[in-house]
Amino acid sequence: MSLKKTDEMDHNAWLKKQDLTVIETAFLTTLIWVDKRLRIVDYLELLETMYYRANLQMPKSHTEQYDLDNKFWYWYPLYSLGSLSIIAYLVAAVSGAMLGFYYSPSTAGAAAQGDPTAAYDSVVLILKDVQFGFMLRSIHSWAAQFMVAAVFLHMLRVYFTGAYKEPREVNWILGVVLIGLTLFFGFSGYVLPWKQLSFWAAQIGVEMALATPIVGEWAAQLLFGGFTLGQATLVRMYILHVFVLPFVVTSLIALHVGIVWVQGIAEPH
Amino acid sequence: MTDDNQAMTDGGTDEEARTDGGPPATVPPDDETPTWSERKEHSQGLAQLTYQYFERSRREDEDLRTESTYVERDVLGFPAWPHETIRNLAITSFFVGILIFIAALMPPHFGHPANPGSTPAIILPDWYLYWSFGLLKLNPLNPQLAVLDGNILLGNEFLGIIAHGIVFGAIGLVPFLNKGSARRPVEEPFWAAVGVTGVVLSLTLAALAIQNFFPFGLDLLITLTFLLPVLCGIITYAVLKTMREGYMYDLNRRYYMLRPPK
Repeated sequence: MSLKKTDEMDHNAWLKKQDLTVIETAFLTTLIWVDKRLRIVDYLELLETMYYRANLQMPKSHTEQYDLDNKFWYWYPLYSLGSLSIIAYLVAAVSGAMLGFYYSPSTAGAAAQGDPTAAYDSVVLILKDVQFGFMLRSIHSWAAQFMVAAVFLHMLRVYFTGAYKEPREVNWILGVVLIGLTLFFGFSGYVLPWKQLSFWAAQIGVEMALATPIVGEWAAQLLFGGFTLGQATLVRMYILHVFVLPFVVTSLIALHVGIVWVQGIAEPH
Repeated sequence: MTDDNQAMTDGGTDEEARTDGGPPATVPPDDETPTWSERKEHSQGLAQLTYQYFERSRREDEDLRTESTYVERDVLGFPAWPHETIRNLAITSFFVGILIFIAALMPPHFGHPANPGSTPAIILPDWYLYWSFGLLKLNPLNPQLAVLDGNILLGNEFLGIIAHGIVFGAIGLVPFLNKGSARRPVEEPFWAAVGVTGVVLSLTLAALAIQNFFPFGLDLLITLTFLLPVLCGIITYAVLKTMREGYMYDLNRRYYMLRPPK
């Protein structure tokens, strides 16, 4: 009996003893490497437990139980509107990230009133010089339009199929918040090119904020960076559009979908 | 205790036979130590209330499950692979394809650079904010008070903001006002009518936002903005109410065929 300690859990030795193909060896090596560091085996066990606890038989829906298919088959496509708004959101996110490579949020460079600013020029650069840039802006803009349209229609579907009723009130209110944020997403994006309509749309926004008693001036400072429009407004709208809103909206969408997952889809019956 | 000391066939007692094998494997809890359920019951205040409520809701769940007449289907469900995946891929590619097609067909207009010195004749946001812009153009409805010499009570912009609050508040309140298990418009003509009123109102408000495009007076347009939605709502109510009888008869017939009334 040797005094040398043997490692009973020498996985690499165990690996060598076995007659494995290249793919199997590579897979096991990677698995062992990751498992030594993150101990994924624990999480796998958790997953396994959850898998076997899950009810493997689905309850029959009212539709199936009472043979009602022919009564509202025409509702079915409308049940995809929520996913369609998420798909449009993803398309807008990808194209927006690529536009962000070229866009600069700055009002510098205008010698006189009405001259193009750096922000405006960077959009012109995207339109004229960037390879595929014209199409990219078009896709980003249309993805936003599609998302808003899908979100509105999704709300109508939920309303007219009574899917908001108890116990789904919280998700309905979350959806109303998400619609508001989507609209604000669109508004902040509309301001970024700093063209004539962007400026005057932002002007209406500031005036609305200032007309609100008590919190109005504070809101104008926070969102528009002051009472008159300028560099501060553009940078705030930019940060809201590319940093704050993406995080907030993405997590709220995840919560929204998570609640649907937990509560199940409300079928008309 | 008397049972334990019964005489056994070998002449001894049960007590002796049991102690012969050594001490018991587990130490019996002494009387002072509370069990886990006792510990939970002994807790006070909010913790106790929470515990009691969870007990109730778990019992409710159990009762519902035992009383349930749910029928289970033979199949396990629509398989995630490949059926669901292929379907989702098809829907996604179709949708993104249409999006790219329209983006190529109708690229958005790009206007002149911002000029704080000259206000454009027509200021408009994107189409999805027209309804909101229409709410800001409700100035003629702003109440005028005789006490204030006919002056308006609120700033016009603030009236618009209040209108937004009312719209969002009303939408948020819907699930708290309309309860019950009815799902279809035909089952609840009133709420379907409310929905149609809201949809048409958003369209007429959008029309109000682009009022310059309408060849008739502003008064008439504002009247129509509120009259048309109500009219559409009334028509919806009438139509659904008429449909309802035959429709519900059919629905109930199917329902009672499968679940005859006791």
